Amino acid sequence: MIAMIAHTLVLVGLVIAAALVFRFRDLLSAAIAFGVFSFLLSLEFYILQAPDVAIAEAGIGAGLTTAIYMVAIKGTERTEAEE
Amino acid sequence: MKQYIKAAVLLVLLAAFLVPTLSLDFGNPAETSLDDYFIRYGQEQTGGNNIVADVLMDFRGFDTLGEATVLLTAVLAVGLVFRRLHKEEEYEYE
Amino acid sequence: MSMSKIVRAAADIIFVFILTFGFYIVAHGHLTPGGGFQGGAVIATGFVLLIAAYGSRALLDRFGKEWFRSSEALGLLVFIGTAFVALFLGATFFANWLANGGLIFGEAVAFGPNPGDLNTGGVIPIMNIAVGIEVLGALSLIVLYMLSGTEEGA
Repeated sequence: MIAMIAHTLVLVGLVIAAALVFRFRDLLSAAIAFGVFSFLLSLEFYILQAPDVAIAEAGIGAGLTTAIYMVAIKGTERTEAEE
Repeated sequence: MKQYIKAAVLLVLLAAFLVPTLSLDFGNPAETSLDDYFIRYGQEQTGGNNIVADVLMDFRGFDTLGEATVLLTAVLAVGLVFRRLHKEEEYEYE
Repeated sequence: MSMSKIVRAAADIIFVFILTFGFYIVAHGHLTPGGGFQGGAVIATGFVLLIAAYGSRALLDRFGKEWFRSSEALGLLVFIGTAFVALFLGATFFANWLANGGLIFGEAVAFGPNPGDLNTGGVIPIMNIAVGIEVLGALSLIVLYMLSGTEEGA
């Protein structure tokens, strides 16, 4: 029962984080939301018994990709251009 | 009229993706002969306990070689894009 | 460019644990979940943490890009060299020429779930370490190149 609730919470959090990445105009906030998305995705991989993929996702998705996005935002502009 | 066509196309696409997904039988694959082989003989043939590592590094070493090549190419491309152009280093036409 | 003293002190402490965890994942790749790629990515995350806390200048003074570049090349060379040794021994390319041989990493394992022994696996631990060295160099280099491209004069 507890595992079921945790699994559902992780899935709902995944959808919310993905929607936030899409919604945010501030690209720094979007990058942080993407880091949260990657972290929840690695939790989901762990729940689905794929610890290999979970470690890779936590290291690359949550750690390195966020850092690379930060560097890219620092080199360009922080806010998304209005249409 | 146009948005009705759009909605219909979207619904058809959604059904086309959802119906196979929901009718799949997870955890019970149709063909398991290769999995059974790796699980049965992986430990004694390679000596590694982690079957994933056995497959990645031994049975399918070429896959890992390709992955390493992809990483090397990525580093080369990033270094090419982000190199600093000094005045004297700029390419000169003959 | 470096962050505040609190961030730097915390990064100093956490870096040690990240490095230990990464090397554990690489060294136990043939026994537990993980392997060269995952462990290398974790170690590279530790280096990126140092870059974020101290700035790329401080890290480059200590190591330099040459260090990461040669670690990447060394990993690839060890990986392909281990595969080529099998050719000289009369086996096929990428054959596991050390498994069950009694030499280094050559102990035989029993079938079924067991606690495992570090001294098993044949060429798998060697290739794990090679891929780990390569991935840690490559991923750190990507971040370092991007930083040097965006910082003016750095």
